[in-house]
Amino acid sequence: MQGASTKGVLSQLGLLEVQARSRRAQPQQQPQQQQQQQQSHVKELKVKVEQLILQRDQLRAEIQAHQNLQKLRMSLDKPCEEDEEMDDDSEDSQILRLMARQTQLRDLLHAHHLVGGYDIVKTSQGKGVCVSLATAYEGTYLETYKLEIDLKPTLRISRHNIPPFIPLNSIAEQSHMQTDIKAFLNTLSQHLNAFSSRKQQFKLVKELFHKSVEVLESNVLCSKLVLMVTVPRENTSVLCKLDYMDHTRCLPTRVSFECEDEELPDSPQWKKNCSLLMETPVHKALLTMKEMENIA
Amino acid sequence: MEEKMSGENIEEVIMMEAQITSLQAEVKVLQLQQQDNHKNMTIHFRDKCKDALSYICGKRQKGGKEEVLSKLKEEVEELEEDLQRQSQMNGISLNSCTIKTLQSSDNQLVQELSVSGHCSELVFQVEFQLSEVKEGQRSERTISSLNVVMDANDLQNFSSFLSEVEERKDLLLFFRTLRAYSDRCDDRCRTFQHFQDKYPSVVSLPGGSRSEVMTLNHPELPGCVLVVNWSVEVSREGGVAPKIDLLTKIPETALQMFPSQAVGGAAESFQSLLRILGPEATMESMIRAISLSQDT
Repeated sequence: MQGASTKGVLSQLGLLEVQARSRRAQPQQQPQQQQQQQQSHVKELKVKVEQLILQRDQLRAEIQAHQNLQKLRMSLDKPCEEDEEMDDDSEDSQILRLMARQTQLRDLLHAHHLVGGYDIVKTSQGKGVCVSLATAYEGTYLETYKLEIDLKPTLRISRHNIPPFIPLNSIAEQSHMQTDIKAFLNTLSQHLNAFSSRKQQFKLVKELFHKSVEVLESNVLCSKLVLMVTVPRENTSVLCKLDYMDHTRCLPTRVSFECEDEELPDSPQWKKNCSLLMETPVHKALLTMKEMENIA
Repeated sequence: MEEKMSGENIEEVIMMEAQITSLQAEVKVLQLQQQDNHKNMTIHFRDKCKDALSYICGKRQKGGKEEVLSKLKEEVEELEEDLQRQSQMNGISLNSCTIKTLQSSDNQLVQELSVSGHCSELVFQVEFQLSEVKEGQRSERTISSLNVVMDANDLQNFSSFLSEVEERKDLLLFFRTLRAYSDRCDDRCRTFQHFQDKYPSVVSLPGGSRSEVMTLNHPELPGCVLVVNWSVEVSREGGVAPKIDLLTKIPETALQMFPSQAVGGAAESFQSLLRILGPEATMESMIRAISLSQDT
């Protein structure tokens, strides 16, 4: 744009010069038409200037409003600090204040969502609520499960997308959903997060060790994992069985080894491996075992 | 005459061309500033807020101030209600959330968030980076560099868990555990308070009702004190469990005179009672035992 307008000046000057010269040479050449041309050009330029001034003023106003909002917002976030120095008599201050509060509320709701809040929403018929249960593993957000709960006459789960192998009904009963819905949601969230975490761990095992570790068996609830690993020097295979009996946890409750060399599971090295697998997520434990050259 | 006219025109044209150039430059700077504003501050103008902004910035044609105000008010009220519902259901109140955009492109967004609030009496602040990567229809959200700040008083029970949570970047786990911990602390507070109200002559709470300690002592036996130490422990994995112990402060001479099982083995008996009766009933029977001696 800038380049074009500079060129515009030069070409305009050039044009005028040519015209002046030709006028001198041929003084009879329709001077009136020329004048009209010039005038219409001036008009065009005037319009452009006006448009630009309007655009600039609009931008200035928006930036000013933004800055005022930012100030207001900061004073909302840190109410203890000195009060905002906004001129209260400004007739827009009420609107600005509401806008600042609106953005703050939106951010707070977003934060509730991020920290794993239940994102509770009234259902369209108004009879019940819809609740979200977020899951994550090591910083990565995974599936979000949803439950629709009718509130009257008694609490009842009407719809949900929780996998059938999660014992929803018995969790509801054991945590006394009827009287303590928060306890129920907390326990359910624990179950779902543990399940998602185990699933993610199993997935990582398959991804990270697809060449060296063979997954022989696992189930949909991810409560059982049987792996085949190889001891590098002896070139013997070891069967690792991991049981996750506590479905609210993502670490196994029992680890056992099977090997042709019956003494191997009792060796100090493999006892260490056993406690490693008990205390660390399986993909990390395998990584450590590999680094120690306990497995190929 | 003609010559003079064109001369004036040329001057005017040059002047306006220059004005346009400078205006264009100014607009460009303002546009950049506005883009920066939008990046650094997550004031996302949506719906009613957008209307209000354009109202403030001079486009006052739409229905006037009253309509803009009432629409904005309505929206803010709805959001306030929503926030209250989330806070109540999640058991977590958020006071402030500041978001700073570090990187923004078509398929990647990196933001730095700082969220502070409280869960019952526990104050917290969490800071983390959130990146969102879009791959086709799917988008993956990941948290990195999680940092949790808590009040020094609460840190004792939380320290090993916090380092684990920060390492695992498990924001959801932190909040689940915080809530469970807070609920257990509230239970303890209620129980302590209940006993103090019921047995004011025997029960005292030297550290207040939110502390871990309740002391039982008969007014006529100032030297003999039973101390109930009720702590809530948080495991590295985020498990929350109460731990209740009884300590006896009985003068040596008294122990020598009455070497009975009832006094010397009080701590062990307390533990077996706990297993059978649960905390409330156990403490009640202890307090009764001490109070009864008053009558005999």
